[in-house]
Amino acid sequence: MKTRKSRPVGFYLAGSWLGLMVFIGLFGWILPLPQWDEAFFDDLGVGPFSPRHLLGTTQDGYDMLAGLVNGARLSVFISFASVLIGGGIGALIGITAAYFRGKYDLIVVSIFNILLSIPNLVLSLALLSVFAYSDADNPASTNRRVMVLIASLIIVIIPILGRISRGSALQWTNREFVLASKSMGTKSFTIIFKHILPNVAPAILSIGFLAIGSVIIVEGSLSILGIGIPGGASWGSMLANGRGNIAYSPHEVYLPALFIALTVISSNWFGDYVRSSLDKRESKI
Amino acid sequence: MSELLTVDGLSVQFATPRGNLRAVRDVSITLNKGESLGVVGESGSGKTVLSRAIMGLLPSTATRTGSVVFKDQELLTAAPDVVRELWGIDMAMIFQDPMTALNPVRRIGTQVTESLIVRLGMDKKAAKAKAVEILKRVRIPDPEGMLRKFPYQLSGGMRQRIMIAIAVSCEPQLLFADEPTTALDVTVQAQVLELLTELRRESNMAMILVTHDLGVVAGHTDKIAVMYAGNIVEYAPTRQLFSNMKMPYTEALLKSIPRLETPTGTRLPVIEGRLPDPTKELVGCAFANRCAYATDKCRTETPPLTDGGNNHYYRCWFPIGGAN
Amino acid sequence: MNFLQVIAKRLVGMALVITIASFLLSCLMWQLPGDPAQLIAGGAPEGVVSAIRVEVGLDRGVFGFFWHWFSGLLSGDFGKYYLNGGTRDVLEVIKATLPVSLQLILYAQIVALSFAIPLGLISAYKENSRFDRIVSSTLFTLVSFPSFALALIMSLIFAVKLGWVDPIGYVKPSENLGQHFKLMVLPVISIAVGLTSSYTRLLRTDVIATLKEDYVTMAASKGISNKRVLWFHVFRPSSTTLLTSAALNMGGLIGGTIVIETIFVIPGIGYEVFYSIGARQVIAMQTLILLISFAYVFFNTIVDLLTNAIDPRTRERRG
Repeated sequence: MKTRKSRPVGFYLAGSWLGLMVFIGLFGWILPLPQWDEAFFDDLGVGPFSPRHLLGTTQDGYDMLAGLVNGARLSVFISFASVLIGGGIGALIGITAAYFRGKYDLIVVSIFNILLSIPNLVLSLALLSVFAYSDADNPASTNRRVMVLIASLIIVIIPILGRISRGSALQWTNREFVLASKSMGTKSFTIIFKHILPNVAPAILSIGFLAIGSVIIVEGSLSILGIGIPGGASWGSMLANGRGNIAYSPHEVYLPALFIALTVISSNWFGDYVRSSLDKRESKI
Repeated sequence: MSELLTVDGLSVQFATPRGNLRAVRDVSITLNKGESLGVVGESGSGKTVLSRAIMGLLPSTATRTGSVVFKDQELLTAAPDVVRELWGIDMAMIFQDPMTALNPVRRIGTQVTESLIVRLGMDKKAAKAKAVEILKRVRIPDPEGMLRKFPYQLSGGMRQRIMIAIAVSCEPQLLFADEPTTALDVTVQAQVLELLTELRRESNMAMILVTHDLGVVAGHTDKIAVMYAGNIVEYAPTRQLFSNMKMPYTEALLKSIPRLETPTGTRLPVIEGRLPDPTKELVGCAFANRCAYATDKCRTETPPLTDGGNNHYYRCWFPIGGAN
Repeated sequence: MNFLQVIAKRLVGMALVITIASFLLSCLMWQLPGDPAQLIAGGAPEGVVSAIRVEVGLDRGVFGFFWHWFSGLLSGDFGKYYLNGGTRDVLEVIKATLPVSLQLILYAQIVALSFAIPLGLISAYKENSRFDRIVSSTLFTLVSFPSFALALIMSLIFAVKLGWVDPIGYVKPSENLGQHFKLMVLPVISIAVGLTSSYTRLLRTDVIATLKEDYVTMAASKGISNKRVLWFHVFRPSSTTLLTSAALNMGGLIGGTIVIETIFVIPGIGYEVFYSIGARQVIAMQTLILLISFAYVFFNTIVDLLTNAIDPRTRERRG
């Protein structure tokens, strides 16, 4: 799809951005920034590049840069946690289903189909609205919301990556070397981990990167719908809070939107790169 | 008779990752109005590329050098639009595989009338009437019903007739037939060749018949060019060629055709060895490494195209039966 | 005969998937903390709450609750909204909102296809040219651009800064056609950009394959223009994947436009889902989510069956 010439540039740009986001997600608290949830009442709605606030403040006086750095922490955590756990479980179920076939496979495929029949945003919306239910009487804490959000996303991701792993694994379970290994009495789990998993891994990895992008989009969408992370703690949440002030301080909207977009684009480019280098390996055989 | 087509020193190269591939090397032929030429060679000899190069139907990776003059017009340097104007009306092509050369999603009628409507400006009704007439000429039963069919509903022989009908619909003066019978059953092959010869006689159309089978060209062409590794290695009137073959390669080709007289179970002689690497410059005779008569001279010195008299040309140091 | 069996099998499978999904939805609603009937009633007196509890079957255990709702659906009773003492039929709400969503989706599909088809054809025809490279990388970037980010940035530029259109709202085409289209422009573009990217990429791949076919060279040898070769001979045989994907998207987009409908306050089915969640209308929520899933599964099954039906002939055609 992409041309050979332009790939390295895009690949390095995408990689650097993702790396930067992971870095500030992990070590952002070291940076000499104001508290993200502390309001500066002297600087309400200051634009970007003001002396005290590099990226400006919101109409409520929160520092944008501190918010974005803190948002990276949550976004990186939510997306990596849900994709790693959901992808891991999905891959395990998908590969074993492809390997053992029979009734187990049938049940797994049916459950995947049922879960996939509900569009993923709607499914996470329903899960979140039930399990992170909150109103004035019993407010759900941000931590609980994050946990429920990750759990919902895991449930959404399992069938997506599970189906792909199963399809990919099916191409390998009947190859000669697997059959040879089986006939020599090798244990099933040894075969799965030694022979099948390494071959299926690149496909799962490339979809995994795409999934990270999708998770960030879903998180943003849920925030806009008012049931994501509250209080400007994530990029999506900042975006949702800033929507009302779009006319006075547009940077409240376009900065988080830019961060979301760049991260999603980067993870997609990265996934695409993984896939195309996988294609190259296949074509060399 | 007047000259319709003059090809002079035509070479074709393809840019490939492995380097320049020389598909056609310095080929010169002439064709008069109504005349038919057979171009014969094994696969990879450059015969299909030659016919497409003359017509100008090559992909953009190809470069042509030399000269192709059709009806007093140089085609190699002409603008693409000028050449395209000739396609379909002055020169047309029949493709090798009738299974893949018809558009699967368009009705036969649409495909046959397309040239008539788009190129000749006929209205739909006139084009349909003309299409029926052409389909009759190529002996298709129930031509009206045929117009409504899709290619997948037809047999290979029928599709090849449709392709011939499309090619001759605008009555071109030059028809390229690229292995028109290779994909067909033996009995159908003969019918298609008969049909082509007949159509040619009726409208005084010239034809270049490309094939790997010397037997196919024998009864249907006025002269024959034998190609090997992009070169013409023997070029003569058909009768002359069969009665007085000069080139060992032509002889080998002829021996590899199965005959009715051969007892069953006889192993057909095959030409051992392979074509030389088309990305390399040729040293000596291209056929030397596969030739039964080759000497050291053949391997080091390239034989020129020798005029043997009677319009018979060959590219060999030691022609069969000696020089004329 | 064989094909009828295939149809029957797929339809039974579809019914099973939908039934189980419905049951899971009911279980999910049953899990709501506190009393779902109170949530639905929204602070109404205890008498009203217990009346609702009986009416929606919340007093009969999770199976009874599911069956009450599901059998109602099958007999055309889609449940009710309970608002400020009054009620509203969910079916009426669907009748009012579904057409709005369909308009939005249809416009987005038309816009996406009318950009994707020429872009896909030309970039395939000029494979690896500068034009192709620019189109490919631009589209790849756009396909990953979140539609809500695009929606917000566009409404910032075109509605807030330039004031060309109103930032939010919806007008029926029968009321004021001009205003209707004007309000639809931004939401439609927000949805269409992603679609255009994926459609262009699909078409480009297929056209590149078709251009290598003999019948394309054959058509060119008739001396017709490149434009005619491309449109008349190449496009149709290359469009199968594109059309399949467009048909599949019809199912996925119903409800998939939920964020865009919410941002631009368009009273479609997606906005209604958002609203029913906010208003704790458990029954309406169940029904709407199921409807969206049904649309998705239904379109998938139909498209699958259709491609199945066409497939043997296509294979034969391709020889």
